[in-house]
Amino acid sequence: MQFAKFVVSRVITYVLVIWIGITVVFFVPRFMPSDPVESMLGRIMSQGAYMEAEQVEAMRATLTQAFGLEGSLADQYFGFLHRTFLSRDFGPSLSMFPTPVNELIGRALPWTLALLLTSTIISWIVGNIIGLLSGYKSRWLSSRALEVIAILVYPIPYYITALILIILFIHINPIFPLFFSVRGDAWSWEFISSAVYNSVLPALSIVIVGFGWWVLSMKALASSISEEDFVYFAKLKGAGEGRIMTAYVLRNAILPQVTVLALQIGAIFNGALITEILFSYPGLGTMTYNAVLQADYNLLMGTITISIIAVASSTLIIDLLYPVFDPRIRQR
Amino acid sequence: MSRSNSKILFAVLLFALLALFSSALVSAQDMTEVGTPRASTLIVDQLGGRINNPTQTNPYQAGTHMSAGLHQLVYSTLWEINTATGEQFPALAAEMPEALNDDYTSFRVTLRENLRWSDGEPISTADMAFNIDMILNTPEFPYSGFLSQVIDNYEVVDDHTIILNLKRSEPRLAYTLGVHIWGDNFRMVPKHIWENEDPATFQNYPPVGSGPYTMTDVDPNGNWFLYTKREDWQHTDVGQIFGEPGPEYVLFRFYGTEERRIIAGIQNQLDIFTDISPEAWDILRDGNPNARAWHANFPYANFDDPCERGIIFANSQPPWDNQNVRWAMALATDIKSVGLATFAGILRVSPLAVPPVQVIHDAFHKPMRDWMTEFAFEDGYQPFDPNYAVDIAAILAEQGVEGLPESEEALVDLFGVGWWKHDPAKATEMLQAEGFTLQDGAWHMPDGSAWQITINSPSNFEVQSQRLAFAVADNWRDFGIDATVQQMDGGTFWSNYNNGTFDAGSYWPGCGALPDSWDLLDAFWHKRHIVPIGQPAPGNAMRYESDALSDILDQIAELPSDHPDTIPLLTEFEKQFIVERPWLPMFGTSKFVPVVTTYWDGMPTADNFYEGPWWWWSLFKYHMPFIQPKADS
Repeated sequence: MQFAKFVVSRVITYVLVIWIGITVVFFVPRFMPSDPVESMLGRIMSQGAYMEAEQVEAMRATLTQAFGLEGSLADQYFGFLHRTFLSRDFGPSLSMFPTPVNELIGRALPWTLALLLTSTIISWIVGNIIGLLSGYKSRWLSSRALEVIAILVYPIPYYITALILIILFIHINPIFPLFFSVRGDAWSWEFISSAVYNSVLPALSIVIVGFGWWVLSMKALASSISEEDFVYFAKLKGAGEGRIMTAYVLRNAILPQVTVLALQIGAIFNGALITEILFSYPGLGTMTYNAVLQADYNLLMGTITISIIAVASSTLIIDLLYPVFDPRIRQR
Repeated sequence: MSRSNSKILFAVLLFALLALFSSALVSAQDMTEVGTPRASTLIVDQLGGRINNPTQTNPYQAGTHMSAGLHQLVYSTLWEINTATGEQFPALAAEMPEALNDDYTSFRVTLRENLRWSDGEPISTADMAFNIDMILNTPEFPYSGFLSQVIDNYEVVDDHTIILNLKRSEPRLAYTLGVHIWGDNFRMVPKHIWENEDPATFQNYPPVGSGPYTMTDVDPNGNWFLYTKREDWQHTDVGQIFGEPGPEYVLFRFYGTEERRIIAGIQNQLDIFTDISPEAWDILRDGNPNARAWHANFPYANFDDPCERGIIFANSQPPWDNQNVRWAMALATDIKSVGLATFAGILRVSPLAVPPVQVIHDAFHKPMRDWMTEFAFEDGYQPFDPNYAVDIAAILAEQGVEGLPESEEALVDLFGVGWWKHDPAKATEMLQAEGFTLQDGAWHMPDGSAWQITINSPSNFEVQSQRLAFAVADNWRDFGIDATVQQMDGGTFWSNYNNGTFDAGSYWPGCGALPDSWDLLDAFWHKRHIVPIGQPAPGNAMRYESDALSDILDQIAELPSDHPDTIPLLTEFEKQFIVERPWLPMFGTSKFVPVVTTYWDGMPTADNFYEGPWWWWSLFKYHMPFIQPKADS
């Protein structure tokens, strides 16, 4: 009964968070000092397409109507809620009019998920294993060496790490492609191999930068838990080293790491802006960034709404799953 | 796991990785990554970055990106421009439009014979008539509103002749329906395909066009677009005018950041660059001996981009509504230091309302140099400094720059006819006469408040204007004005401009590629376009109200470009513009648009000036017959 109450309250909070989030997403771009119509006209004219004043005025009127910016703010807001929740349609992109936002997100999202999900999980697994060894087997030379590497790599800004990889593996020793190009029909061998080949370097850059934090945090947790009474008790009872490390130390140390992982997985829907720019990787990050620059309200609302739902959902899921991992919470 | 098991696992993993990559790795020397022979593929920098809607190739929809090859290679227009000669020429049309009455409201347009669409169907006036009807009847097209103001009706005479009857006088019909800068919105599409579609929603992929190439493949992620030469190139305007295009394939590619583009150039993976910084050019030049800028030596850059850069003012607001204040700001500006700080002096100055591109420089700047030298204020003060070119050359020579011209004439050709003197004492005198005061080295407005100027500047684009804003602000701070730069992204930058919500700004309201720039001068400066601040302006975003300038523009409006009075009237406009000084044009735009000649001959350069290096303009298709594969590549 108590658990049911907990679930209901969390679900209500979840719905409220999403509603407040997307309401903010709707209004904030409209208070920006830019305008999608002026942005589109500016883009057309900055390419050199200078037009007579009459042509500019006629185009402005047509675009305002086509972009659906003529009604009151309230009309636009309720139209947005209706489209988003009932039709799951974010409307046309304003900067790529009339391509639907759903189509643009549908094209970019798999790339973002593939890159960030893979690299985040690899980074999490590798970092936690090394951190666990460093914390529990701190006298091992290999543990210490890996820990030193993590400490050295962790503070380097991501931008620098990525540039070093580009210079080393694209410019000086061109093992990986300069040019992001995936070929072949979807899910063919050519497609998969070229996608992996093109994604190795951006993924590596994320893993390198990310794993340091996991190492350091897991090491701190594992060292502290190794000193706990129940670990001594297990040793005195004759439990094996491997069992103590995994069933006693890891099981307790992993809880906060799982929480952070869940939040990170939720946040990957934001995309990885710098990675995408540096490696010319297609994804949601640059799409959202360009939507901000070009005041593309619909695209911005589409990408951020997905991100809000993802973060809120992952938080909800982890809240609901926590009792499974941690019996102390279940009893409370 | 035992040691031997570990070794086996490692070997299996290594083999899997090699197998995975081996199918993706290609021989970079022989083939491009899109599977075409490198030696017959011209690789062009894709302007504007990745295109997220790559298969939206409907040329009339608002969000279609035209500059990734679509308007350069797939669609021809009725009339095109040659920036080397400064003239328009008939492209799909057989000749320039023929006026049928004295008030320029009826024209005969003739199409070339033996033109075909890329699917082999003939191009005729039925297509042109269909396009007019389609645009007029599709209000969703941004271009529809404008065309409906121009065209009343048409009469198809035969397959190649059509008469256009207009709603208003259009002495420059070839400007209205043809290219005079960058491209034109009237891009004919084939009737036999489009008549079966809803034009407002039709994706038009793959496009069937009239140009010499067809779009044969695109990256679903929008990183590249591949174009293949038409086998029937003889049935295109390019083939008929200039002959067979050289490159078998043209690949527009997005490489990403400037560093990656430079690496691509060094590795011979990019033949044509759209725009890079002077610093990047130095790296490219050092890294690839086949890299070539517009000029073989200093100044390397091309100075003929059709817009000039400078500082605009909110002319309807004090203190900028005062002509003497605007003039004082010109004299408070050290143009040489601004040029050096902006692009190391690699710039051509312009004191006029039109840019100093070669054909305009020859038509206006140079002929008006003596007049400007003699020009004086009411008190007899002569503000013009005709020695800018000689002086900046001396400074650059002192800095170790080699290869500078020696004669004054050549220096003027290179660096411009001159600009306004840097005379802080005269500027001080003029401001004090208007009630401004200098207190402890800081200027105060006539009402006693400290004078602060905010200069709007682009933040992540148009680097020349960005740098210029900071250089001018430095100058004005040295003069005692609290000048700051406000950097803005594109949307905000243009919204502020069109709404008139700025104090000063680093913009470029001075454009033109042909001697007759009436339409753009009219758009930027005619008083009939003025709307209240806060409302988007159709033109004249500076809100500058001048009866004298507007009267001259009205007189020119009634004349065709080739009328003998057109250039003299435009010269009168320039003289009045100098007197009133509504903005401070400073420099033409310098573009570092280098090429890599490892695989290609015949790229346009200053020594081979058949056309400017405008790869992102629709005229790029006319470069193709001149660009030929190198025999040894």
